Amino acid sequence: MDRRHFIKQSTLLSIGGLLIPSSLLSACRKETLFEDVSYDVKVIIIGAGAAGLYAAYMLKSKGIDFQILEASSTYGGRLGKLTGFANFPIDTGAQWLHGKNSMLGDLIKKSKTKISLDDSETRYWFNNQLVNSLPQETDIFEGDNLPDISYEDYALQSGLGNEYKYIVENIAGDQGAAASRLSVFGNNEDEEHWSAGDDDFKFEETFFDLIDTQIANQVKDNILLNTVVSKIDYSQSTILITDSNNNTFNADKVIITVPIPILKSADIEFIPALPDEKITAFSKIGMDAGMKVFLKFSNKFFDQNIIGGSVCAAYADDRIGKAQNDNILLAFIMGEQAEYLTSLGSDAAITSALIQELDIMYNGQATASFIASHVENWTTNPYIKGAYSYSTIGMGDARKIASQALSEKLYFAGEAMNTNGHHQTVHGAVETGYREVINMLTDIKK
Amino acid sequence: MKSIVLSIILLLHIGFARAQEFKIDASYEYLYSGQWDKAIQTYNVSRPFQTEKQPLLMNGLNTSISYVFENEKHVKHGINVSYAYFQSSAENENFNNMLKLHFINLGYILHYENAEKPKGLYADLIISATSSGLFRHINGNPFEYDETTSRAFGIGGDICLKAGYYLTLKNNFYLSPFISIAYTPYLYSPNSEAVINQTKELTSKNWTGILTTQIGLTFHLKRQQND
Repeated sequence: MDRRHFIKQSTLLSIGGLLIPSSLLSACRKETLFEDVSYDVKVIIIGAGAAGLYAAYMLKSKGIDFQILEASSTYGGRLGKLTGFANFPIDTGAQWLHGKNSMLGDLIKKSKTKISLDDSETRYWFNNQLVNSLPQETDIFEGDNLPDISYEDYALQSGLGNEYKYIVENIAGDQGAAASRLSVFGNNEDEEHWSAGDDDFKFEETFFDLIDTQIANQVKDNILLNTVVSKIDYSQSTILITDSNNNTFNADKVIITVPIPILKSADIEFIPALPDEKITAFSKIGMDAGMKVFLKFSNKFFDQNIIGGSVCAAYADDRIGKAQNDNILLAFIMGEQAEYLTSLGSDAAITSALIQELDIMYNGQATASFIASHVENWTTNPYIKGAYSYSTIGMGDARKIASQALSEKLYFAGEAMNTNGHHQTVHGAVETGYREVINMLTDIKK
Repeated sequence: MKSIVLSIILLLHIGFARAQEFKIDASYEYLYSGQWDKAIQTYNVSRPFQTEKQPLLMNGLNTSISYVFENEKHVKHGINVSYAYFQSSAENENFNNMLKLHFINLGYILHYENAEKPKGLYADLIISATSSGLFRHINGNPFEYDETTSRAFGIGGDICLKAGYYLTLKNNFYLSPFISIAYTPYLYSPNSEAVINQTKELTSKNWTGILTTQIGLTFHLKRQQND
């Protein structure tokens, strides 16, 4: 073989040796999962909250037959919209976008939805007076080697005395929990997985509108409202679902997106019964009472945020981020405070307790300018029964166990089933919606 | 500034005086990372509102500079610095999402050639420390949240086998077509999924293995033993 011939052959072999495997590998590498695959299955989604709606939206995009069964008379889950109370629309449920590095952040950008950074200022009700800052640092719940004890106990151990009780209650309340129940260790572990960003944003319209116009609108024809699922029989190849009116529905796969208290309280009977390990995992995921009370005043006497009240640890000016300016103050009440206010028995009593507290803080101005209130108590909603999930003491990997699919038939989604630190949020719920559709399609593809 | 440039030129000059070979590569690079594929595939399947799908990080360009020390043995050693760039862009209405991936490697070369036949086959084994930077741009601008840029840095190790064939251009100048295959068994890049899919450990691990192949050309400036 002469040199010229050798070079020519070597070059051809080299190019062939590189390009042929590369081309073959490229052909195997699809841009998206489940590309060009059709699925002949019937899927039922239980719950039309953010997770259920998004799972449905995914299934629709793949041309899969689905139906959503929703217990209440409307869709949205813990997203809701109140109009007519103020001259701007109000979110009765989730209202802050927590970080914009999320899929919903992309959807907001794409849909040109108007949001604004909530950089409102905070004053504290501390030692019976409103102050601009606190004497001691309260940012103690993140770091290394934190103990698996409650926020309340850890605060006391760290030198935050009883005068900080409702400040700490507010910090835990942000996580939807009472300070006596939220785990310092567990919540810190969750925070380490958080990737959405720390800034909070408010919608000029509402969070509900984003989900409604961009997602629910695509699938709302397939939602069956007022359908309370009471039994899921997955003992046969076809799953049989029965509602409270004894109507039955058949499905090959079921995505369950109901809030964790519904699973904990066994409102749905499973046949065969769920494994003990799963039931234990459900029981370890916390979800406390939660309510939002919107107070309308003729004058704007209040600060943008008031933290540390003994009746309500967190008040927020609800006009922030809105185009209009009715004087609406939001009382954001979680945990033991929500339990106490719920125990008062009526919306009027709840409102009265809050007005009394504001009167003390602002020298009677609340009563003087009070116009109306709207109480949205998520605890007494029989299909929700609380605010949002949180990490309890000794919770371990309960979320992972709780969210595992059963028998390749039952899939568990919803914010409480988020295992990548985004539980408690709408984007976290949405992530579980698409995660379980991916898991389900992967199982079918097997 | 002028003195810095002059110093660099002087150092290169002194260095080259002791070099057996100085070479510059330019190549096409093909990349495969299972974890990043998975994150992009999840991004694509989970966002039906994006009709134009995000391409996988697959095709890129690589350039490197190598410096082989003077040595009379068949196996010589040297150092190598390389840079590679990959891009993935999907244009959707109101939303042009672009991923930019950069690699910088600093490696040690074991260079084999038959010193008696300056025109012929050669092979390099390169063991490198590798660093990566993954960035997200939306509508032409770096994506920022919490007043910081969305980015994921990575660090790992890489082993590369490269083979080429010297063709004489002029006197001490040579040109060589080459192919190479490289494997990064472990690149620790915990934030990559957060950049690609805006989640953490939902779809992938916090590290990835990477396989790359290259095809390209090298320009050599080579001193003969009797120069």
